[in-house]
Amino acid sequence: MTYPAAPPQTITYDTHPDQYKHWRLSCNGQIATLHLDINEDAGIKPGYKLKLNSYDLGVDIELYDALQRIRFEHPEVRTVVVTSGKDRIFCSGANIFMLGLSTHAWKVNFCKFTNETRNGIEDSSRHSGLKFLAACNGTTAGGGYELALACDEIILIDDRSSAVSLPEVPLLGVLPGTGGLTRVTDKRRVRRDHADIFCTLTEGVRAQRAKEWRLIDDYAKPQAFAEKVQQRAAQLAAQSDRPADAKGVTLPPLKRRIDETGYHYETVDVVIDRKSRRATLTVAAPSAQPADGIEEILGAGAAWWPLLMARELDDAILMLRTNDLEIGTWVLKTRGDAQHVLAADAALVQHQKHWFVREVIGMLRRTLARLDVTSRTLIALAERDTCFAGTLAELLLAADRSYMLALPNDPQQEAKVTLSAMNFGSYPMVNGQYRIGARFYGEEGPIAAAKAATGKPLGAAAAAELGLVTATPDDLDWEDEIRIVLEERASLSPDALTAMEANLRFGPGETMETRVFGRLSAWQNWIFIRPNAVGEAGALKVFGSGNKAKFNWERV
Amino acid sequence: MSTASTTPVTIMRQHLIDPEICIRCNTCEETCPVDAISHDSRNYVVDAAKCNYCYDCISPCPTGAIDSWRNMRADLAYPIAEQLLWDTLPAQVALDESTGVGAGDTAALPDDVAKIAAASTAGQGGIAPPPWSAAHPYVNLYSIQKPAVATVSGNFRLTAEDASSDIRHIVLDFGNASFPVLEGQTIGILAPGLDANGRPHHVRLYSVASPRDGERPRYNNLSLTVKRVTADHEGAAVRGVASNFLCDLKKGDQVNVVGPYGTSFLMPNHAGSNLLMICTGTGSAPMRAMTERRRRKSVPAEDGKLMLFFGARTPDELPYFGPLTRLPKDFIDINLAFSRVPDRPRQYVQDLIRARADEVVRLLQDENTYLYLCGLKGMEQGVDAAISEVCGNHGLAWKTLQAALLQQGRYHVETY
Amino acid sequence: MSIDYSQKIPNNVNLNENKTLQRALEHWQPEFINWWKDMGPDESQGFDVYLRTAVSVDPGGWAHFDYVKMPDYRWGIFLNPAEEGRKVNFGAHKGEAAWQEVPGEYRSNLRRLIVTQGDTEPASVEQQRHLGLTCPSLYDMRNLFQVNVEEGRHLWAMVYLLHAYFGRDGREEAEALLERRSGDADNPRILGAFNENTPDWLSFFMFTYFTDRDGKYQLCSLAESGFDPLARTCKFMLTEEAHHMFVGESGVGRVIQRTCEVMNQLKTDDVAKIRAAGVIDLPTIQRYLNFHFSVTMDLFGADVSSNAATFYNTGLKGRYEETKQDDDHQLSDASYPVLEVADGQLLTVQAPYLNALNERLRDDYVRDAVAGIERWNKIIQKAGIPFVLGAPHKAFNRKIGPLSAAKISPAGKVLSEAEWTHHHLTWLPSIEDRAFVSSLMGRVVEPGKFANWIAPPARGINNQPVDFSYVRFN
Repeated sequence: MTYPAAPPQTITYDTHPDQYKHWRLSCNGQIATLHLDINEDAGIKPGYKLKLNSYDLGVDIELYDALQRIRFEHPEVRTVVVTSGKDRIFCSGANIFMLGLSTHAWKVNFCKFTNETRNGIEDSSRHSGLKFLAACNGTTAGGGYELALACDEIILIDDRSSAVSLPEVPLLGVLPGTGGLTRVTDKRRVRRDHADIFCTLTEGVRAQRAKEWRLIDDYAKPQAFAEKVQQRAAQLAAQSDRPADAKGVTLPPLKRRIDETGYHYETVDVVIDRKSRRATLTVAAPSAQPADGIEEILGAGAAWWPLLMARELDDAILMLRTNDLEIGTWVLKTRGDAQHVLAADAALVQHQKHWFVREVIGMLRRTLARLDVTSRTLIALAERDTCFAGTLAELLLAADRSYMLALPNDPQQEAKVTLSAMNFGSYPMVNGQYRIGARFYGEEGPIAAAKAATGKPLGAAAAAELGLVTATPDDLDWEDEIRIVLEERASLSPDALTAMEANLRFGPGETMETRVFGRLSAWQNWIFIRPNAVGEAGALKVFGSGNKAKFNWERV
Repeated sequence: MSTASTTPVTIMRQHLIDPEICIRCNTCEETCPVDAISHDSRNYVVDAAKCNYCYDCISPCPTGAIDSWRNMRADLAYPIAEQLLWDTLPAQVALDESTGVGAGDTAALPDDVAKIAAASTAGQGGIAPPPWSAAHPYVNLYSIQKPAVATVSGNFRLTAEDASSDIRHIVLDFGNASFPVLEGQTIGILAPGLDANGRPHHVRLYSVASPRDGERPRYNNLSLTVKRVTADHEGAAVRGVASNFLCDLKKGDQVNVVGPYGTSFLMPNHAGSNLLMICTGTGSAPMRAMTERRRRKSVPAEDGKLMLFFGARTPDELPYFGPLTRLPKDFIDINLAFSRVPDRPRQYVQDLIRARADEVVRLLQDENTYLYLCGLKGMEQGVDAAISEVCGNHGLAWKTLQAALLQQGRYHVETY
Repeated sequence: MSIDYSQKIPNNVNLNENKTLQRALEHWQPEFINWWKDMGPDESQGFDVYLRTAVSVDPGGWAHFDYVKMPDYRWGIFLNPAEEGRKVNFGAHKGEAAWQEVPGEYRSNLRRLIVTQGDTEPASVEQQRHLGLTCPSLYDMRNLFQVNVEEGRHLWAMVYLLHAYFGRDGREEAEALLERRSGDADNPRILGAFNENTPDWLSFFMFTYFTDRDGKYQLCSLAESGFDPLARTCKFMLTEEAHHMFVGESGVGRVIQRTCEVMNQLKTDDVAKIRAAGVIDLPTIQRYLNFHFSVTMDLFGADVSSNAATFYNTGLKGRYEETKQDDDHQLSDASYPVLEVADGQLLTVQAPYLNALNERLRDDYVRDAVAGIERWNKIIQKAGIPFVLGAPHKAFNRKIGPLSAAKISPAGKVLSEAEWTHHHLTWLPSIEDRAFVSSLMGRVVEPGKFANWIAPPARGINNQPVDFSYVRFN
């Protein structure tokens, strides 16, 4: 199998089980096993060795791919066992030397993707009946334990030496920042004083006390470990409704073309204006009426528009985030026939209980949620040939601001926004709220009004009336107004914008995920730029050198 | 004439700013396309070496301070450093006679216009200063490159149908264009088309025959008195391009106009100022303008004596004969001379000057009298001789008086 | 719609083809006319006034004179012709091509500059709206109305920029310019001086001399802007601003001249006798001068200002005659002297130049304003009267900035509160002074006649005689 070549330096998220360097995916009936066996010489960037099953972005890219394969290509899998292919070490977390060498932006982007992948594990457990069991067959430290925390259950080998640990604070002067601190409390409900001890204990906590403190669910002696895992995996599988006899849908490589203008896919086009530090993402509606019978849908498989579009949009987001740090504004556009989008939405609603459609909805949900937590300004523009309808209307709702072209003299040509049932709960953000609901802070009036307009093509005035768009300049004003909005935005501090947008996108109501992205990541990112971590004598810098970190003792 | 100078001294018309009137608004400096104007904390000044006489700065000036001029020997032009120290404008310095008073006005004007101006004022020895109370004229607002477009709003024959000369009264309207003129000023007409050599026709100058507030009061129009030229000075048949063009114009036709020109042949505006006007033929145009100005009593105080000597071949050929004869005797003292009336002796304006010697001399001795002479070149000599004679008879030396009048801006000649 | 905009609204911005602008003006223009009828010159809407109307930007084209009723005045939109290859000449963007569109990142600052400038224009019309009822002559009445219509045109100029370059926000700001009212406690004009009353003609002349001169200096600095349409608009406005200052300078000069004539006739410098003769004594003129000078000082803003620094550094507002300054035009390391009160003393301290740009402009202004006062002194001198008018210290009677906390005499001495209370009426017009001046204000409308307290001008407008009927009442 060949993949389209990317220019050197460009990181892509393309991979396939055949090409994995760090993971091994084996499916056996309803149980799939993911063996983590990191090739220490195959870091995604040069300069460090991935010793002791420590990971970098490349490892997570494979994990993400493996999860996608399990979701779509292996519908019969109900439980995923995550374990290590190495002896006495499950995973020692993110590679410290990699972190020490990386730019701040790289660290932040890497952590964000890692968090999203972990969240994706829980999302599949919650929505798709795919259960995860961490079989910690050795030392489970830092990011390794955080991976285990993302699973439904954790079984630790009780060999008198293996422990689970979050040694970031005592060892590295940073946080267990990819969900560790949060999941210890929010998910596993470890008492806070136990958690305090656990998080400052370099060597971690071994089996028995770990179980007492709720850090793990169970443990087993080496001899009994495999059986215990199999047994528990089977029990978890019994809770799932994934079909035993369904045929999977293969995920072929994306047909993506990279050139100097941007990234080009079948349904998504990304044009980058480097001078203005702006990318325009245009999502195209299905060019024809999409399949709607379930057999047809399965026949279309990965080419079925909702899945194709979701995968392409997902990839575009990741490509831009990883490779185009200075492109601070994403302009979101749509084009094509809104009726086709609404038809696809109807099929999604009609077959939502079918495993494949359910997975497609999940893919859309996670992709849109990825947009919400992207540290770029999102501006949606609804111009003439536009189709912000149903699922695609979520792009409009995800944007920080949305502008819709009004044509008072030519209403026929005016852009239209159409809501569908998919806009009212199918795509929750990481705070668990759907976008229209969050937009109106759960207030009944405006939500009901929007709901009553479902299926109606809304012109600029109507959309503005319902509060669905920010502003509706007419054709005389449009060009200047938009130019100024974009230029003005591009001139503001990128840090302040990232923080401001994140604050405004997620209003009242916290979930574990928002705490991960908001509280934990924010603190972690603060620590990442503090001299105590990254200064010449900072803990992250001196790690492994034998030197002791020198701290500035002022508490801030 | 004294000794001939080895290096010819040129005379320039130096552009200055009156520091007493200037309010330092910077408009002129901002407007000047060649950065000739600068300032310090005291004065705004014009660099004589840079000023190209484009007149762009003149009309934007809110005070009129910009519209100040002195005839200067080019080598003695006031330098900026000196101008910056002024509290008031210096008086016009007396120029060495050999250089010719103000001959350098040509610097500012298109070549054609300068040539005509030089020729027409030769009789007085070059351009004289204007009367001290003359209004400030605007000049050269429209160039050959950027002429004003006027619309013909009237074209009437002034001479009888059977008269040998065709003299016309032509009214031009300037619409929205600003084309301010004063009585005595001339405008240039650009006849369309090309001459035999394929070049544009030369500018032809015509004296404005209407007062400053318009042929019709407060209309943005003016009138010209134009004689259709059918013969040259020697009497050979020739078709005057501009005069025929003008005489053939129909109401509504458009004409390219340049100018206005003339900073000297202007009327006094102070109370008690007398006008002694001597003209022939279309030379009556500026006289009509000045007379109309006084007749309309636009300014009641301008109430001096008007005396007119006007010559033509016959009454039929005398432009404005009818209206003239209807003017009240106590308003204007009119003396008409006809040289071709059958059965009567040929009479010329100089004959009438002699006949009215007492009054003419009385006026000439009044320091409020301003003398204007306009018409064919041929009249100059005769008039000069007649005045000289009547002066001599009253014990006055005309040559001395004439020089004084010239220096005081009281003697103005325009002949063609 | 088939309105011929170029007929109705003289312009050189291709209005006939600019639909955005047309649409904006369609709404705004009737609002403007309503505002003019409400707040423009009182009881004068039907007069035929001999006004100058700009019909093009050529040197000759903007000085077109004719009788016109003020509500029919053809307020136009004019920008100086574009200068080929013009650059941003100062600040961080120095050397870049001048902006033909609003740079998005400076939109709000630019809009603020334009709105602040624009707000002063209708404000002064409102301040002066009753003056026509007490004009000292037809000539002066006409000059007042000319000033008024040109302030109106300046409003148009700023509104043009808002309409053409700032989209909906700009349209809203343009409407707000017609909604604020000078002196209205609930809805005041933006700058303090523009909420002061202009109660009499001496105030009017002082206002046009001192306060309109601030306008000139603000326009000059904006004419340096890197935002080219603003620069070009302000350049053209300066030609009109000049007329306002002419009205002020010659107006005050004529008042002085008349006073001097009467003083010489009566051979007295006794204020009571001079006042009894119906002219304004020179000490009162000095107090008016002090007042208007000091109020105008405040218009330049705080002595040390971060806004000024930002506007400069971002290329939005330059210095007076920026391109003629011989320095790096970035000023990041330069300093400039500003005043400070410390230990009862007025001190000069060095401030970072960028922050002191308001002070720099104030100093440029003071030099210019003082030169005009010297020209007034020449009139007094010529009359042989031993009296000299002078500008007060720039720290005198300040209400804005750190100097407002101190009491400072016209000579620049720091005073105690008691000293100030004791002396201030010798420096600023008292209620009695104002009452006296206003007692002289009667309406003189016979052509060629002038109120007793003011001398006729040396010459008329547009070569017309002084006794020309500059206003016809119909």
